[in-house]
Amino acid sequence: MKKIWLIIKREYLTRVRKRTFIIGTLLFPILYMLMIFGTGYIAEKSKHNLVVAVSDKTGLISDSLVKLQNQLDQSSTLILVTQDTGYKYADAGYEAYLYIDSLDWQKKGTTSFVLKARKFYGANTPELVAAKINRIWDEIKHEKLGIDAEKRALLASNRILIDFNNENDATVNAQTSNVIGLACGFLIYFIILIYGSQVMMGVMEEKTNRIAEIIVSSVKPFQMMLGKIIGIGMVALTQFLLWITFMFVIYNVTAMSGGAANQIIGSVQSVFTSINLPLTLFCFAFYFLGGFFFYSAIYGAIGSAINEDVREAQSLSFPVTLMVIISIVLMTSAVNDPTGSIATWASIIPFSSPIVMMARIPYGVPGTVPYWQLALSMVSLVIGFILTTWFAARIYRTGILMYGKKPSWRELMKWAFRKS
Amino acid sequence: MPLLQVEHLRKYFATQKAVDDISLQVDKGQIFGLLGPNGAGKTTLIRMITGIFYPDEGNIIFDGKKFDPLNDTRYIGYMPEERGLYKKMKIGEQTLYLAQLKGLSRSDAMARIKTWFEKFEMESWWNKKVEDLSKGMSQKLQFVTTILHQPKLVILDEPFSGLDPVNSNLIKDEIFQLAKNGATIIFSTHRMEQVEEICDHIVLVNKGQKILDGTVGQVKQDFKENIYRVGASEISPNGLAPYEMVHSKAGQYILRIQEGKTPNDVLRYLLEQGVDLHSFNEILPSLNDIFIKLVEGTPNTRQFQKI
Repeated sequence: MKKIWLIIKREYLTRVRKRTFIIGTLLFPILYMLMIFGTGYIAEKSKHNLVVAVSDKTGLISDSLVKLQNQLDQSSTLILVTQDTGYKYADAGYEAYLYIDSLDWQKKGTTSFVLKARKFYGANTPELVAAKINRIWDEIKHEKLGIDAEKRALLASNRILIDFNNENDATVNAQTSNVIGLACGFLIYFIILIYGSQVMMGVMEEKTNRIAEIIVSSVKPFQMMLGKIIGIGMVALTQFLLWITFMFVIYNVTAMSGGAANQIIGSVQSVFTSINLPLTLFCFAFYFLGGFFFYSAIYGAIGSAINEDVREAQSLSFPVTLMVIISIVLMTSAVNDPTGSIATWASIIPFSSPIVMMARIPYGVPGTVPYWQLALSMVSLVIGFILTTWFAARIYRTGILMYGKKPSWRELMKWAFRKS
Repeated sequence: MPLLQVEHLRKYFATQKAVDDISLQVDKGQIFGLLGPNGAGKTTLIRMITGIFYPDEGNIIFDGKKFDPLNDTRYIGYMPEERGLYKKMKIGEQTLYLAQLKGLSRSDAMARIKTWFEKFEMESWWNKKVEDLSKGMSQKLQFVTTILHQPKLVILDEPFSGLDPVNSNLIKDEIFQLAKNGATIIFSTHRMEQVEEICDHIVLVNKGQKILDGTVGQVKQDFKENIYRVGASEISPNGLAPYEMVHSKAGQYILRIQEGKTPNDVLRYLLEQGVDLHSFNEILPSLNDIFIKLVEGTPNTRQFQKI
């Protein structure tokens, strides 16, 4: 026990004191924010305002109506011209040309026109222009039918809304749960991949540095492996707690600054009240560690089997990484249909449960996830990681002192199941 | 009294009988040479003694009891042939860590590291990393980490490879010192001149089996060929002499005494001949010659075999 503790301490301290850890911890949230806001900003900035020449033979569309809509909807700029079908709009400086030859406001059914352009301007351009033209057309129809502004306001505002109420979890808001589920699932996914490969690289380093032989003459391979996995798991946990602390500090600073920030504070508070926070946090910690232990044991075994060549690591770890990727695919479907049979089973089977179950839990326990499912999933994950650690320790014992040819998965299985 | 007894040890791998029924005994305070060509099974044998491998068959008795890898490894210090340390870890911390893994308390380990670092003039290394060391320097460090926990049994696999003569002597003196203080040393190598100098007892293994076991002196006696070096004025080969002339060169003669005759017969004969003698020595075979003689004829590299 004391030796495992020593190993954990070494694995933890050497990693946490590294400059890359400190930089990574600080940089990841910044990069993450940049990614979210940056893509939004770029999408906003890169929106193209299409300049469309509109020629209306019917004369129904007036300049004032067009101007009003140009102000309301800036996805395109419409300019009335009086021209024929063959109008050389590009020479006149327009990007697209809409020619309306006839329109009948009393007609039941649709009328089609063609928006001509010299190249593509985004997939939804026709819809945007059509929506704008239709709003103008609505104005004209309302006027023809004698519907005044008051009636129009009534028509527009008098709608039916439907709220969903899950009687088992009255406070749960499906949209919030969806977002939290996705976020938790993705975080666990990143942790398994990033820290799993750290375990693999750590074992590989010991093997290529040839210190493994000295270590295994002092401690049992199983202790060595367990110490390494727990140590690196603690590093991941530390990084996480630091991020949560950052978030807490930022939240409080924003709360104190008041003003426009109050809106954000309000929405954050509504998130915290809509989910069962202690349960979600507990489950997150459980599945985060469980999933990490489950997969990193396998990654550690792979690390012990390979030599210096990183390509060997890739080819051997591919099937394992694939399982993690499949989990994330299952998770995206589970987050939209948290009670479906795929979601239910994927959240119980240990290969995918750490990621998929976290997508379901924010929807509510026991409303969406019955207690028996949660219990079964947790128990099978614990059994699962005991099995993978046992299996990995056996491969590790043989692999760590084997140099030369890269073994295949079949040979690894042989190492694991032969009698000692 | 034996510290280590190995009885009928066997370890087969998929294509090799790595260790095939080896028995041996290492006494307390002995410097024991484990010799053999490349691939003879030395490393596998050592890995079983250090608890890294489990034997397929046979027993290991350590200090009078059945060897228990979990608890007994703290009494063993092992320096493998393939040296290894954490490259990116600071030397002081690393030494401390390895000593604690062997069961030393932090304060004990610290005190001993201090003594050894002073002895080997390594104090300035504490905050350096292993990757900053030269090969010889890291070899010294490796030796210190091996013996820091004062093991009863020290196993050194090719301890002098890569060391210059000065550092070799430093380590050699420490080995003698350790043995004098009661530690038992197993010394694995194929450098015979070092074995003659250092070891009390040797065992030679080849192809997984023990082919020779004895003290250095005894082994040499067993393999001697009755060859003597004589320094004299003039010796002529003569049909009646009790010896054969093997080699002669400017006053130095190598003679092989005939079966059934003694050195006294030779001396008497030479004196009768009126030869002017200056020296008369027996030439014992070197361990190198014995090694080559015993191992010769077997394929240089080990072949894969069906088990």
